Amino acid sequence: MLPRNSEGRLPAVVRHLFPVFTGLPLGPLLTLSLRSLAGRQPRLFDLLGEHRTACYFIDPVDLAFAFTVVPDAERSIVRVVRKSEAATSSVQIRGPILTLLSLLDGTLDGDALFFSRIISISGRTEAVLALRNTIEDAELRPADLLGLRGALARLVDTGILGALDVARQMAARNSRRKAPEA
Amino acid sequence: MTSGRMELVCPAGTPATLRAAVQAGADAVYCGFRDETNARNFPGLNFSGEELAEGVRFAHDHGSKVLVAINTFARVNDVDLWKKAADTAAECGANAIIAADIAVLDHVAKNHKQVRLHLSVQAAAATPEAIGFYATNFGIRRVVLPRVLSVQEIAALNRAIDVETEAFVFGGLCVMIEGRCYLSSYATGKSPNLNGVCSPPEMVSYDDEPNSTAARLSGYTIDRYEPGEPVGYPTLCKGKFKAGGKTSYLFEDPVSLNAGGMIAGLKAAGVTALKIEGRQRGKGYVTEVVRAFRKAVDAVEQGGDAIEIDRILAGQSEGSRQTAGAYSKKWR
Repeated sequence: MLPRNSEGRLPAVVRHLFPVFTGLPLGPLLTLSLRSLAGRQPRLFDLLGEHRTACYFIDPVDLAFAFTVVPDAERSIVRVVRKSEAATSSVQIRGPILTLLSLLDGTLDGDALFFSRIISISGRTEAVLALRNTIEDAELRPADLLGLRGALARLVDTGILGALDVARQMAARNSRRKAPEA
Repeated sequence: MTSGRMELVCPAGTPATLRAAVQAGADAVYCGFRDETNARNFPGLNFSGEELAEGVRFAHDHGSKVLVAINTFARVNDVDLWKKAADTAAECGANAIIAADIAVLDHVAKNHKQVRLHLSVQAAAATPEAIGFYATNFGIRRVVLPRVLSVQEIAALNRAIDVETEAFVFGGLCVMIEGRCYLSSYATGKSPNLNGVCSPPEMVSYDDEPNSTAARLSGYTIDRYEPGEPVGYPTLCKGKFKAGGKTSYLFEDPVSLNAGGMIAGLKAAGVTALKIEGRQRGKGYVTEVVRAFRKAVDAVEQGGDAIEIDRILAGQSEGSRQTAGAYSKKWR
């Protein structure tokens, strides 16, 4: 299913900054981060059961690239891929990047976003459900993904979550301005 | 009939949701184990024994109770899984076990006398005689009422029984006799009552087609949605089908229960506890609904009027279509 509208999409000025990051080793960095998380919180990956070997195609619709994620604990792999590579995955999840990030930190209700078509899924529904329930329970913060603790973790969480909040507000203003076109 | 403060019983599909529900004001949370002993056996959901013990500690530290749903029906020659679940719930310090199967009720009654027994809605006990049977034989302390009774019928029932009653006030509705549904079994080979899952997600697909999206269960098309139209999770009972040349929701409209406006009536009818459905829902949803119902229940307890209750719960009626269900049988 295609996402319903442009709700919560990144403003163009921010969106244009992102292609720069595709030149960075984003995939290997996220792979390391996920494997490190598996070392610290193996239970999260156990919750996924058989679906930990599924290939999830995560498509931020407002960015030029997508990700594939195989959340197989310490064998996890994250790759930055072209949008055309969706067909090779078990599951496809699409939505604005800020909305997808809000699912990670539990700010937004995944069910509500799906039923209202702000995010869309296709492929193996049970694998999506397992991932969604696992993420819901994980209550992940940015510092968890980066493997940080203590005061530094709090500082990083405050900084990143604050920046995301600002970006969401910008995106919301952007959507409101575009609303008459919809 | 109860004269005390009504108890707000809230769903917890995961440890994180349990903490969210408790912090949002739940008097009690209900949850289940990560297997087919509970009627919400979805991937990534539910509790291990260790997580339940931790959840019970958290809830008790915050003045809330934990009720463990072991509410599916045991299979012939395979009752041990259900008995073990009851033993683990008791060891973890659960306040009550919610069960429907006579074998499970009997096991708890004989082996875990310190744990309250609540009769699950899956038992579909709606008469003084049926409830009396469970009270006499297993010492049940509470019955979760099937969602087929009007408020007047609940009041009459409460006058005739001496166990507590718990009534659903919010969330999904089940069209059959409380989960005794053969539709899902027919289409998928899995039963809500035995395997704990209605419309198992491994058999659900959302397929893009020209100008629409089809929601399918095990290959059967349950509904089609226009571009931009909100979608639903495909269950056969709430599907749109063609019969007699007409396309309609053949069995049941896809509506959710919201009996928030009837809290005062349910209290007057002698209901002890109000239950929110939704163990499969996320903590954002649970937090929002529990907070709203906490305020509404407190307002009712303090003598608030219907307008005040409506105002508190106004946010809960946005979005999906809702109904007061059988509580208000206007067709009579």
